[in-house]
Amino acid sequence: MTAIEVAGLGYTHPGSDQPALADLDVSIPAGRVTLVTGRLGAGCSTLLEILAGVAPRLTGGTLTGTVRVLGVDPSTREGGRTLVGRVVMLLPTPSSQLSGMTSTVRDEVAFGPANLGWDRQRIARVVDGELDRLGIAGLADRDPATLSGGELQRVILAGCLAMEPEVLLLDEPAAELDPPMAERLYALLPELTATTVVLATTDVDRASPHVQEVVVLDGGGVVAAGSPSEALGQEAVVGLDAGSTVARIVYEAGGRGRLPIDVAGVREWIAS
Amino acid sequence: MTGIQLHDVHFAYGARPVLCGVSGQCGPGEVVGLTGPNGAGKTTLTRLLMALEHPGAGRVEIGGRCTDGLGPADLADQVGYVFQHAGRQFFSRTVLADVAFGLRQLGWTAARAGAAANAALAEVDATRMAGMHPHDLSPADHKRIALAAALAVDPSVLILDEPTQGMDRPGMLRAAAVIRRRKASGTAVLLVTHDMAMLAECADRVWHLEEGHLVLDAPAPGLLRDPELLHRHGFTEPAQVAVGRTAVRAGEPAPIRLADVVSAVRDRLRSPPAPTAG
Repeated sequence: MTAIEVAGLGYTHPGSDQPALADLDVSIPAGRVTLVTGRLGAGCSTLLEILAGVAPRLTGGTLTGTVRVLGVDPSTREGGRTLVGRVVMLLPTPSSQLSGMTSTVRDEVAFGPANLGWDRQRIARVVDGELDRLGIAGLADRDPATLSGGELQRVILAGCLAMEPEVLLLDEPAAELDPPMAERLYALLPELTATTVVLATTDVDRASPHVQEVVVLDGGGVVAAGSPSEALGQEAVVGLDAGSTVARIVYEAGGRGRLPIDVAGVREWIAS
Repeated sequence: MTGIQLHDVHFAYGARPVLCGVSGQCGPGEVVGLTGPNGAGKTTLTRLLMALEHPGAGRVEIGGRCTDGLGPADLADQVGYVFQHAGRQFFSRTVLADVAFGLRQLGWTAARAGAAANAALAEVDATRMAGMHPHDLSPADHKRIALAAALAVDPSVLILDEPTQGMDRPGMLRAAAVIRRRKASGTAVLLVTHDMAMLAECADRVWHLEEGHLVLDAPAPGLLRDPELLHRHGFTEPAQVAVGRTAVRAGEPAPIRLADVVSAVRDRLRSPPAPTAG
């Protein structure tokens, strides 16, 4: 089943004469974790903003082609309304996503569910569950304004998960996390089997072992798509200096064709 | 003694202790990577080094001066810094004016400040961004411009809080090259980061902070080559170091920097090791 279908998508940011996305076709399966990556400026964040309905409705700009998220067009007002709480996005700068309306971490995590009109018991249950899952139960009574960057990123993510979204869009979710917590976050994603997860990051080395599908963008279009080893091992992708560090090392050492993306693959490749 | 010196530094936000007796030094021409879990006190330590905060007990010395009684402005000609959220560091309408802002505050003439700002933008390969509005840039480019602003004053101490956050690999390598050049000309650099590949590219030593205590002060290459020590402090081995180890002969130290790993793999392909006897 497909959760997200994008066909012939073009998008130009307001005030820009260069399209950020051009004639993009992507199909993202439901209930799986899809990594969207590329060089900086490839259009990954822009694609997520469009899927979330943020662009162009809130940001402006011009969109062409078709976008369907859970069968709905997020770029229309009616579509956006239908998708509230069902499609949730984590921004790369967590401090800009704080509600600013709460004085404890617990209330901050409850903010989304409360606005969806859930009853108190259900809210308490999901909030406790997410605080535990992200290892921040000990912060529950702290003022969000006093948290470190990494703590805040986990609080905002807990708030996203608490809404039990059908589609979760994550833009650089580990940017401020320490290495063990980043690992824990990525490992959590495949467990969210009721959720379609779209993960945009350049942190491919750590993320790719935990994703099932990969889409590589460049120049606003798709250059490769498939399983992690299929997509990230393609010479065309590695040549861009996007994706796997391991593959890039082998490429710079003279390797061509299908390249290994992990250490075990390098061992085999050296032996052959 | 110049650079950074910390003598038994304690600091608390109200009743919540954040730093509990931190001592260490980072001399001229040295790059110390500061690591630790979220909430360990890393960013707080950088605030003490900028004299934005002062220790409850102990001493912080920058360039041989104790920060007691000093504010950020008193250190502005010696210390360059990149904040964790670099987007909040900008005030001006153009990138160039922003990079020059700190220099003008120091009383430099417009011509001198402009020249230094242009040179700093060139150093981080951002000359083409000079006329852009800072808020039109990506978070990764905010970090890049903040680094240029930190470099422009030609500081003897650089305090960089996650300078490569949001960058892709080419951006990280570019920033690492800038830091190595500054180190070579005698700058003391404190580099707060979670990015192990960045530590591999440019750190001499690693300070690891846990719950306000400095639990590790070790040479970076030794740490990066020791999977067990890495694991004990919650680090994951950077992929490049693991690849490096597969390419060198048993007993040889694994290469750490990306360029050295590439050379090792290339050498290995040219001359595979002879099969061992027995």
